[in-house]
Amino acid sequence: MIKKLLKYLSSLRFTILLICLLGLMFIIGLWVPQARLLKSIYLEWQRNSPVLVAYLDAFGLTSIYTSPITVTLWVFFFLNLALVMWQRIPVIKNRITLSEAKIADPLTVKGYSFQHSYQLSPDMDGNMVIALLRKHRFAILGDGTCFYGVKNRFAPIAFILFHLSFFLILLGGLITVYTRFMGYVDLAQGEPFKGDFSQYNSTPPIQMPQFGSLPSNRFTITSIVPSVAGFTPTGISIKLVDSQGLPHEAGINTPYSAENASFVFNHLGVAPLVILKSPSGQEIAGSYVKLDVLKGKADTFTLGGFNFKTKFYPDYVLEKGKPATRSMEFNNQVFTIVAEQGGKKIAEGTVSKGGTIEFAGYRLEVRDILYWVRFYVVKQYGVSVMYLGYAIASIALIWRLIFYRKELVGAVRDVDGVRYLHIAARSEFYKDLAEDDFTKFLESLLGNGRTNT
Amino acid sequence: MAYWETIFFWIALITYSLAFGGCLYSFIFKNPRVMPKITILLTFGFFAHTAAIIARFSATGHLPWSGHYEYALMGGWFIIAGTLFVGWQNKALQELTVATAPLVIVMMGYGYMQNPGLTRKAASLKTIWLYIHVYFAWLSFGAYSLAMAAGVLYLLKRRNEDRSVSNPAYDRFPSLGRLQELIFRYIVFGFITDTMMISAGSIWAKDLWGSYWAWDPVETWSLISWLIYGITIHLRITFGWRDKRMAWLAIVALSSVIISFFGVNLVVNTSLHVFQVR
Repeated sequence: MIKKLLKYLSSLRFTILLICLLGLMFIIGLWVPQARLLKSIYLEWQRNSPVLVAYLDAFGLTSIYTSPITVTLWVFFFLNLALVMWQRIPVIKNRITLSEAKIADPLTVKGYSFQHSYQLSPDMDGNMVIALLRKHRFAILGDGTCFYGVKNRFAPIAFILFHLSFFLILLGGLITVYTRFMGYVDLAQGEPFKGDFSQYNSTPPIQMPQFGSLPSNRFTITSIVPSVAGFTPTGISIKLVDSQGLPHEAGINTPYSAENASFVFNHLGVAPLVILKSPSGQEIAGSYVKLDVLKGKADTFTLGGFNFKTKFYPDYVLEKGKPATRSMEFNNQVFTIVAEQGGKKIAEGTVSKGGTIEFAGYRLEVRDILYWVRFYVVKQYGVSVMYLGYAIASIALIWRLIFYRKELVGAVRDVDGVRYLHIAARSEFYKDLAEDDFTKFLESLLGNGRTNT
Repeated sequence: MAYWETIFFWIALITYSLAFGGCLYSFIFKNPRVMPKITILLTFGFFAHTAAIIARFSATGHLPWSGHYEYALMGGWFIIAGTLFVGWQNKALQELTVATAPLVIVMMGYGYMQNPGLTRKAASLKTIWLYIHVYFAWLSFGAYSLAMAAGVLYLLKRRNEDRSVSNPAYDRFPSLGRLQELIFRYIVFGFITDTMMISAGSIWAKDLWGSYWAWDPVETWSLISWLIYGITIHLRITFGWRDKRMAWLAIVALSSVIISFFGVNLVVNTSLHVFQVR
């Protein structure tokens, strides 16, 4: 019973069944809104169809990639993989072993699809043929009268390597999952990052690692320079100085990475320095406020008991008497600000850098316009193990499927004073194409020293 | 679209259509002698296609790597380049045009109807990983397309051989044995490049989005198509699947790749792979 079960668990039939089931789960995951990946769509859907969503939740289909069904399938997949590898080791060992038993008569040998005889010139003997084959990376057993040769002898090892790479990817993946810290932090130009828990945004929630700690990085952002062409963001340069005083630069595709933590640029905002002055002209409040106002979004801030609603125009222009932007380029930065007190609008105006808006005797001055960035902070271990898995998988595939084994048995014999090379050859995976390859190869190998028979 | 790009795009599309029409003529009217001329026509279309890409490159300053139109333009180029390359190496494989030309015509037509406007290169696309990732993606798509085309040739030739009166147009095709091995060889090449594409994409995603795998719809479909071709290779090597079954598998499996490239973004607008292309 156990033998039968093990046989099935290690069969390719089971592998294919598992892959099909995993594929099915992934396809379901594309159609069913996933709670973690598409939270807003999921919540809306839950409101509209609470019963259906409750059923799907119960089966884990709304968090399908971590659902018990998927995890079970993965467990069986890796169990199957381990058993297949274990079973194949002796087979591979046998295949790569060079044994005298593999030497056979090319005229009578079975299982070799390509068979041909070449008439050799009198000055060419068996040892010269073997030397030529060795030059073409054939490992040869035997002598000129009868020999066995194999090229890419160790290719079957790549089978083990390829399947081993899956385990490396799994191991790397598990390490990253259990050591992963994830959080978001908003930092304006000039603002230091001290690594405190409180400095991270509360939403989306911080994900603490099962093993590990908060990133210990400390740095200060010294400059943020976004670049835009028309309406397409074309880059951002974020310069920062770490606690050692060393400068670094981050941008899109180039996160700031140190001590296993990466600070990945995620979002850009505008951080104007706003100063509130009393009717007597005294500065009563002021700060850099981080506004999420790009792409036409509105945002608010509070200062000195007043509430300010803002919109931002990076390339301001008046169109039909209304504020608009010519592009997303930061050419002519202007805010429209509505000042409110107790929920009532008390003033409204457009303000550029250095400009002011007056209300109830107070003045709000936009003294400077800088930027802020949102970093996606992730700290995890194990990524390099995954990358090693990728590299091994790619190398093993090339090795196994391009540099596949080619075997031949040959004999050089004299018949009626004429010297012949009899060859029988075969390759893995191919028969007809291999015959073409062997024909070409042997013709080029023997050159002028042969005539076809 | 840039001015010269439009001109060369249409020249390429019309030439490919003529080449495909020529293939049909060759089969229907049992005239295999026109095939070398069709290859010349296809080569002419390929030069026009290349010129369209160059014109677009000079107008935008970057290679066409993003958006449905650019996918189609570049993907079509790789498929035709592959068809011409294998046809140049082996004259009998010039017939692959019968399946690759209509695929490219449909792709380019579809791409043209989507978003052919000139766009500047988004910041997210400024990385060497883009070139590695997309280059391998197109190589795998090209190889899988050739496998599909070899599958079509296999089925056509097989049907012809089963008939009492055979069509001489099929005589130029490689033998059935060679065709079915070519299907496997192209799938193997596609699978290797597909693996590299997914690996490179994962490394790029770590830098761009902070996560090497996010179950993004395009990522997930890429994994599904990779698994499908992985199964195909196992079925061939371990279960010895050959003949019609293998040919049909090569044809049907291509649909999973087409869904990855063009289908997912059609039905899901949450993919990170949209890259804000208008």
